[in-house]
Amino acid sequence: MKRILIRVVIAFIVPPSVFAVSAEDVVRRLEKNTVFETSRVEGSMVINDRFGRKESTFISYGRGTDDMLVEFTSVEEEGMKILRTSDELYLFFPEAEELIRMQGTALKESVIGSDMSYEDMTGGKGLLSSYRADLKGMEDVDGFSCYRVELEAKKDDVPYYRQTMWIDREIFIYRRVHKYSRSGKLLKIVEIEEIREVSGRHVPVRMKLVDSIKGNSSTYFTVTDIEIDIPLDSVLFSLEELTW
Amino acid sequence: MKLWRIAARNIGRNKKRSFLSLSAIAVAVMGIVFFSGYLKGMTGDLVRNVKTFYSGDIRVQHEDYERYGYLNPLHLRIEDFESLTAGIERDESVALTSPRITFPAAVYREEETFKATGLGVDFGRETGFQNLEDYIVEGRMPEAGKNEALVGVGLAREIGVGTGDKVTVMTTTMRRGTNAVTFRITGVVRFPLPVLNKTRILVPLDRAQRLLRMGPSVSEILVKLKEGASPAGTAARLKEGLGEDVLAFKTWDEGSVSYGYIKMATAVYNFSALFFFLLASSVIVNTTMMVVFERVREIGTIGALGMTRGQIVRLFLFEALYLGIIGSAAGAVLGIGIVVPLSITGIDLSNALQGVDMEISGRIYPALNPVLTIFAFFYAIGISGLTSLIPSGRAARIEPVEALRSL
Repeated sequence: MKRILIRVVIAFIVPPSVFAVSAEDVVRRLEKNTVFETSRVEGSMVINDRFGRKESTFISYGRGTDDMLVEFTSVEEEGMKILRTSDELYLFFPEAEELIRMQGTALKESVIGSDMSYEDMTGGKGLLSSYRADLKGMEDVDGFSCYRVELEAKKDDVPYYRQTMWIDREIFIYRRVHKYSRSGKLLKIVEIEEIREVSGRHVPVRMKLVDSIKGNSSTYFTVTDIEIDIPLDSVLFSLEELTW
Repeated sequence: MKLWRIAARNIGRNKKRSFLSLSAIAVAVMGIVFFSGYLKGMTGDLVRNVKTFYSGDIRVQHEDYERYGYLNPLHLRIEDFESLTAGIERDESVALTSPRITFPAAVYREEETFKATGLGVDFGRETGFQNLEDYIVEGRMPEAGKNEALVGVGLAREIGVGTGDKVTVMTTTMRRGTNAVTFRITGVVRFPLPVLNKTRILVPLDRAQRLLRMGPSVSEILVKLKEGASPAGTAARLKEGLGEDVLAFKTWDEGSVSYGYIKMATAVYNFSALFFFLLASSVIVNTTMMVVFERVREIGTIGALGMTRGQIVRLFLFEALYLGIIGSAAGAVLGIGIVVPLSITGIDLSNALQGVDMEISGRIYPALNPVLTIFAFFYAIGISGLTSLIPSGRAARIEPVEALRSL
């Protein structure tokens, strides 16, 4: 009798929409919102560590889930480019005669001293092809109601074995992500601090990334200008263009 | 007949027995002479390598550099190093200086990455500082202003490159960015240290500054002093005279990991030497006692013929001293005969030191230790003489009739 009563109370209190969506639906809607046909982003990366603050600027171009080109424009990294094509990641430096393909343990290295690793830039494949998703309920993050989704790796070829995402119920953008190793150690924390509406889409424009292993370090990504679904020449994402 | 003459004759009477005793003493002394020479050579090599390749007699760095050394803190640099170097060189005790930048690097070639330690140096200065030119086994020194590099022979083998090939060096810049530059290999170097051969890539200082986006600065200046100059005294004088508050002038043995190794190694060596001394002593003691105990019947005979106890003991003491002098002299000569040629040709330990990350050269040149050689000579004589007193004293106390029955 008591159990029946609890079920009735829950049925009235919890909105039906919670049960109407599955974890997969939430992740699909998240990916639909964060992956663009094409995009051009100008932004900055501010790294704070024990030695102080460092700012780097960049322009990045994206196409779907696979292709991305990041070109650094700050003096310290000027001319350095990072190209992602499906599963490959290449670095270009103006004074290097060959492209550097990042692979193996090199992928774990930090991108220009930030809290982001090259590994974080790989994996253009959709989340659902690499992870099993499980909806763990609803939680508030900074006053926003979010779905809490647990992702567990299906295969070993992903940088993080487990991820917990807090995905905004209204706009389907993650507000916070915790990334864990197989042993359960918290490796990275992502927090979205500002979201802006661009061409009818919600886009995170300020994000904080913390590599909890590094300690005393955080990286802020700020988008200063963004264009979505614009015509981009496909050669932009080719190795030939990278070395040109 | 005088006792010392009888003792001399006794040695010749039983040649086999005397030879056994002499051999034991000679081998023990030879071992001590060789071992002490080997240890002296190894310790000297370790100190020389630390000074030449890592610290100089004095190392000048930003005062916080060592504290954050594991983070490659290139921003804790020495700016305007040229005028500082000139100031250091004005000191009368200073022979040479070597401004350097050490940085961790990933050497990339044909999609493979190899870990390395980059070293930006002024090649003109390094010829004198670390005799770099002598170590080049192939090719030539790189030129300043060009993207050229020298590579350690082990690293070159691992990458599969030689003179004329190109490699791309990727590293973290001074402001924690990333940069990579392609260098042409102009030469392959065989350092005396296996660990350097496996990891070192040397590039011109100006190219390292460009790669690391450091501007005209270096991470350290190594100072080599003139023979006999005091590192501590010179370091204090330079620190005070140059008025560089943020820089630390540390002597090679001051708080360095390498010096810790040397201290530890010296302790281990001293312990080994002590062990060897005890071992050598026990060989001499055993042989001398055996030789005397074997002659109890003889002692009985000479006692029966009228020789007093004191004379018997002195007789055996003389014998032992003769054997000790001859054996020790032979051992010392043999030891010197081994150490001196090896101090020229060296002992090749490169295979044994594969994978050992210590500042010990692949070839060790033993150095004769005159003090220990002289000590070993007299020590062996003393030990054999003293050892003879115990059994001969005991044997002399036995009644002649009993002694004659003992065998």
